Formats: sequence, structure tokens, C-alpha cells
Amino acid sequence: MTVVVGYLAGKSGTAPLHLAIEAARTLRTSLTVTTIVPKPWTTPSPARIDAEYASWADQLAADSAKEAHRYLSVVAGDLQITYHSHAHRSVSGGLVEVVAERGADLLVLGSSANGQLGQVVVGSTADRLLHSSPVALAISPRGYRGARTGVLARITCGYPGTPESVDVVRRIADLATRLEVPLRVITFAVRGRTMYPPEVGLHAEDSILAAWETSAREMLAKLRSDGVVGDDVALQVVSGNGWDQALDAAEWLDGEVLALGTSPRGDIARVFLGSRGTKIMRHSPVPVLVLPG
Amino acid sequence: MTAPSITLTEQMLRRRPVIGAPVAHGASDHLKRTIGTFQLTMFGVGATVGTGIFFVLSVAVPGAGPAVVVSFIIAGIAAGLAAICYAELASAVPVSGSTYSYAYTTLGEFVAMGVAACLLLEYGVSIAAVAVGWSGYLNKLLDNLFGIQIPHVLTAAPWDSAPGWVNLPAIVLIVMCALLLIRGASESAAVNTIMVVIKLGVLAMFAIIAFTAFQADRFADFAPFGVAGIGSAAGTIFFSYIGLDAVSTAGDEVKDPQRTMPKAIIAALLIVTSVYVLVAVAALGTQPWQEFENQEEAGLATILDNVTGSTWASTVLAAGAVISIFSVTLVVMYGQTRILFAMGRDGLLPARFAKVNPKTMTPVGNTVIVAVIVSILAGLVPLDKLADMVSIGTLVAFMIVSLGVIILRVREPDLPRGFKVPGYPVTPVLAILACGYILYSLPWYTWIAFSAWVAVALIYYLLWSRHHSALNDGGDGVIATAAPGVEDVEVIGPPRDAS
Repeated sequence: MTVVVGYLAGKSGTAPLHLAIEAARTLRTSLTVTTIVPKPWTTPSPARIDAEYASWADQLAADSAKEAHRYLSVVAGDLQITYHSHAHRSVSGGLVEVVAERGADLLVLGSSANGQLGQVVVGSTADRLLHSSPVALAISPRGYRGARTGVLARITCGYPGTPESVDVVRRIADLATRLEVPLRVITFAVRGRTMYPPEVGLHAEDSILAAWETSAREMLAKLRSDGVVGDDVALQVVSGNGWDQALDAAEWLDGEVLALGTSPRGDIARVFLGSRGTKIMRHSPVPVLVLPG
Repeated sequence: MTAPSITLTEQMLRRRPVIGAPVAHGASDHLKRTIGTFQLTMFGVGATVGTGIFFVLSVAVPGAGPAVVVSFIIAGIAAGLAAICYAELASAVPVSGSTYSYAYTTLGEFVAMGVAACLLLEYGVSIAAVAVGWSGYLNKLLDNLFGIQIPHVLTAAPWDSAPGWVNLPAIVLIVMCALLLIRGASESAAVNTIMVVIKLGVLAMFAIIAFTAFQADRFADFAPFGVAGIGSAAGTIFFSYIGLDAVSTAGDEVKDPQRTMPKAIIAALLIVTSVYVLVAVAALGTQPWQEFENQEEAGLATILDNVTGSTWASTVLAAGAVISIFSVTLVVMYGQTRILFAMGRDGLLPARFAKVNPKTMTPVGNTVIVAVIVSILAGLVPLDKLADMVSIGTLVAFMIVSLGVIILRVREPDLPRGFKVPGYPVTPVLAILACGYILYSLPWYTWIAFSAWVAVALIYYLLWSRHHSALNDGGDGVIATAAPGVEDVEVIGPPRDAS
């Protein structure tokens, strides 16, 4: 039981560390700061031609651990933290191995640096893990500094309305009860762009959106009447002209987390984020938690 | 559902209220008026050019000879007059769902059902007709690029002049469009925009190259079939002008619509007609009119081959046509599904037509049904018989719109209208007469098929729709079936038009 955070000095800053601290505090568990380093040439060679490369990799791990320690010792003195490096030829593969090794129940990653501050930007490592992680994956927005209050204020669960996703809502509702935080379930509705030439008028998509909102409301009401969520859970249908507008329209609290479920097409329980989930995630202003299906 | 307690006549004439407050209030809620004359004109040109011009010549020229140029002008005027009437109705009744919704809110349920039948026929057959034209250009492109051709039995309908088994490429195209529409409206709109730009460039290239081989004596025998030939060809050509009415759908978003709308419609009409006449004259100048008949597949591309003596130009043209026809099929199919959607929501069709898939937020079931039916049409019925069916549906819909303008002026003279038809009683009457003239010259079998189709739709209305109409229980059909507890679910969204 630990929270594993993937960290490399100089990459994605301290945002993933902030999120990891909060997660470890909320789950009352330890924190494992992991740096994946490239695997040196493993064949023994008397000439030690690879020595420089190996020492560079070691240096990389040491630097990252030192950097993380320097930071964490100030802000997270209360947590039990271990620093760990693991050699693997791919970062995502290495993280999966560490997660299995340590029996972690959450993997935390930062956003890629190629995007706007305050937004979740999926980099190559996160992208791979969003389709293969065996445990829940949390991704911090770029430049995330943690909640001012330092506690998890609310969990928002994205509910697409498909039958498989009811189970996700149930699990997140259990989690919210266990962590004693309020829960909100949102169904997003996004208006399709107008088709040109508009053979049927410019407003054809408005009626599609209205119909979808109506059925989304019914499905959310059904969640409550079926007993999946309790009476204290907020249910919302949030619409917009694009995913960005819809995500903005849903008001977010300081210290809120957006939880999404995934539905892999297979027997193995793992994270596998679909196309809609990816769009929601990319426009989320708060950290995103993706659960394995 | 029980039979309603009102009489049949009342039922057939009842009108759908414009949702929310009366129209005057709705205007304040509307999108910003941002579109100017130039933009609106381009809108109309983009919407119109490319529907039929790529392959209509090989169908229309054998019927009218070089006088097909006159047919183009007549068809254009008919379409333009109707588009102006359409604009008035669109500005008086700002609802989505095209002519069907205008008819429902102004002329009553029965007429709306008839208009819906016309529109479904127009759109459905138009998809099939352009998809059939697509297979000719695809074959041409494959031949030029790789030297292979799809076997004739797989590109011709069983009742064509040269019979085959099935028109497979047409079906493939329809399936591709259906998949794109199921994937999402935004994705479809983005793909379509790119394709529209390509098609305009390709047509310009055709006219320039074809004029290099122009010979005036090709026009010597100008009208070999006289006025009847011209009228009949105008009916066939008419469907390459569908799209001008798209200008009028922008009525709520146009700056100063009273002045902008007629200017834009007329400007678009002039540009489109000039482009068509230019292409027709350029094409006619390159070869004797009798030769068009044998170029049923990929007419314009074959002409370019003959002019340039090599295949590069026709390869570009065929590629342009393949893309252009793809975009037209996509847009028209989109329109078809959205009209069925509106009808499903009004309760005139089963509710499954108005069901939105949670994953893609598009009406998936509806799109699949349309794709299956249109594929059967495109795969098995030959093109020339199809093109006339499109025209008859559109012409009747346009006539009803023009009639609707007159009826609404008499019944609701004080209704605020964003745009009024210039030269009022004359323009709508002229529109009706022009449409009537083209209708009159269409072949008899088109009339029979059309009447049978409308009769089926109206019988369906009498037997099913009128008992299930959302107006029966006085409320919106979708909201009436709401689950308990729905009022606890908060809805957050940007302000939108009432639809």
C-alpha cells in the first residue's frame, strides 16, 4: 500500500509531487518517489565502454531523488517517503513494474511541459499508461500547486451514461464515502459543430443536444432511484459548445478531483481511457483520476 | 396511446407552437448577427456548387442539346425565387428542422407530413444519386492512377441501360459517410469543410483547361429538342441548385437581413449560375453534344482527357470529384438524419429516430436506418431515374414554402419578420409558377412514383402519427416520459436558442 509518483528532475516540475502528497495524506499511506532511468548495456565488457552511460543514468536517478527530497522535506515532513530508481528501457513499462513490485494502489504522474499552465497535458508516458496501467492513475494539471486547504474538497465523477459505467460510479461513490468527501456526478453534453452547407438550418445540432440533455437527466435520476448514489450526491448535466466550454461551465472547487472510469474491451482489469474520456481529461482544470475497468 | 378527442380536421390543421414565447421575444435570445453579405454569398456558393455539376451534363445534354445552357438559367431562377420565399419563412419562424418545421408551425400537421415526405425523398434520393455518380469518378481515378477498374457488374444497377449486379462503390461511400456521422457531428463538419475548399478549386481548373479547346460551331444546332427538351433538362439540372436555400437558413444570424438576404441570394445565384453556364459552355465547346450520352460515367474527366491528350488533368479532376461528391453525400445525409430526428421528437415517427447515443452524442440508430435504405436505392436504381426524383421532391417542397409565405402573410400579417420577400405577391407566385413549369415537364413515371410515396407517407400519418404526435398530450413528447427525480438533476450550459 503506497502511492507511487513518477518523477524526473527538470521534467514537469513539482506538480506531480504536490498531487502525490495530497493523495498519500488522503489515503493515509506512504509515498514512493520513483525515477525510471535508461537501462545500460547489460553484456559485461572488459573495455567498460558503457561505463559513462551507466554513471550518467545513476547520476540522473541521484539528482532526481535529491531534488525531490529537497522539496518534499519542506512540505511533506509528516509522510513516510522512499526514493527509488528503476532501470527500464521505457518509462511507462518501468513504472508498471514498480507499481507491481511495491503493491501500490495509485500511480501519480505530472502533465507534459508542452501545454498551457493549469491544464492536464498528456505526455507520451501518461498516454501509454492511460492505456495500460494496472492501478488507478492520477495526473496533475501543469503547474499544479495543491489545494490551499490541503484537503480533498470533493470528488466529481464523469458519467457517460453507458451501462458499463454505472459500476464506475458505484466504485467512486464507495470511495467518496470511505474518504468522507462530497460527491458530484456529471454527465457532459457537447454540441456538435454546425455542418456547412446547413441543408437543415444552423440549429439542427441544438435539438440533438437538447434530446441528449433530456436523456442524460433521466439516466442521472435513475442512478439515484437505483440506489447507486445517495441523496446527498449532486447530479448535474453540463453542456457547452465544445469540451472546453463544458468543462469550464462545471464549477470546480479548490481541492476537487475529477474521476473517470474506463472500460477496457478485455478480461484484464487495467486503465484504458476512451476517446471521450481523453477529451474530458485534456480540458480538466483539476487533477484527473482514472480508474481501471 | 388513445385516439385524441379532437376531430380529424382539427388534428390535421393543428400547428406546433413556436417553443417558448412568441417570435418577437425569441429574437433577443438569438445568436449574434454576425454574417455579412459577402460571407453569406460565399455560404450559398459553397453550399450549391458541386452537387451535380460533375456528372449532370452527361444526363442533361442528350435531352436538350447545347440549349442545356438555357436550362441551367431557368433552373437557377426557379431555385432563386424559391430561396427568397424560404428566407422570409425562416426569419418569421426561427426553428430548426428546415421546411418541415416551418410547415408544421405555419400550415399544420398534415401539410408538415407531406413536406416531410418531399424532403425525405429529396434528401434520400439525392444521396443515392450523388453516390452513384461517385462510383463513375472513382473508377476513372483508379484507372488513371493504377490502371485498374472495378468490374462493371459491381458499378452498375441491375436496371441500368447496361445492367450489372449492384453499385458497390456507391454503397461503400454511403457507409463511410454514415460512419463519420456516427463518429460525431463536429468531426463530420471538420472533414466536410476541407472537402468543400478542394472542390471549388478543381472546377475552376476544369473551365480553364476546357476553354483551350473551344469551338463555336459545336453550338450550331442549338436546341435540337425545342422548348420541351429545355424544360425537361431544367428539371434534371434543378437538383444541382439545391443548396441555395441553405442561404436562407442563416436568417437569424445575418446582419440587417432585410437588405443582406436578397442581395446574398441573388449574388450567390448569379455566381453559381455563371459557374455552371461556364462549365457547360466550356464542356459543350470541346465536343459535339451527341457524344455526352456515351460518357455517363465521369463525364467532365473524359472531356479533359480528350482536350489535353494526357490523363493528368482528368486525374486531378476525378480526384476532386471523388472528394467533392463525398462531401455532398455527407452533408445531405446529415440533413436527412436531422429531419428524421426532428420528426421523431415531434412524435410523427417512432421515438427511436430521436434517440441520441451516449457515447457519440449522435442519433446512431437513425443514421444506420438512413444508410441502409439509401444504400439499397443507390446500389440498385440507375442514376437518370434517381435525379428526377430529387427534383420533384425539392420542387414540391419549394412550392409549399412559397405558398406558405402567402398564407402566413394573410393569416398573420403582424408577425414580426426579419426578412420580407421583395415584390410580395408577385415573387412567391412567380416561384410557384417557375417550379410548376419544371414539374410539368418531368416524365410521367416520376410523377407516379412521387405520388405513391407521398400517399404512403400520408396514410402512415393517418394510421400512426396522428395518434402518437407529441401535441396529443399537450407537452413535449420527450419530456413527458421523464423519469421520476429528474427535477433534482441540475442542468448547466451556455444560453442557447429555443429549438
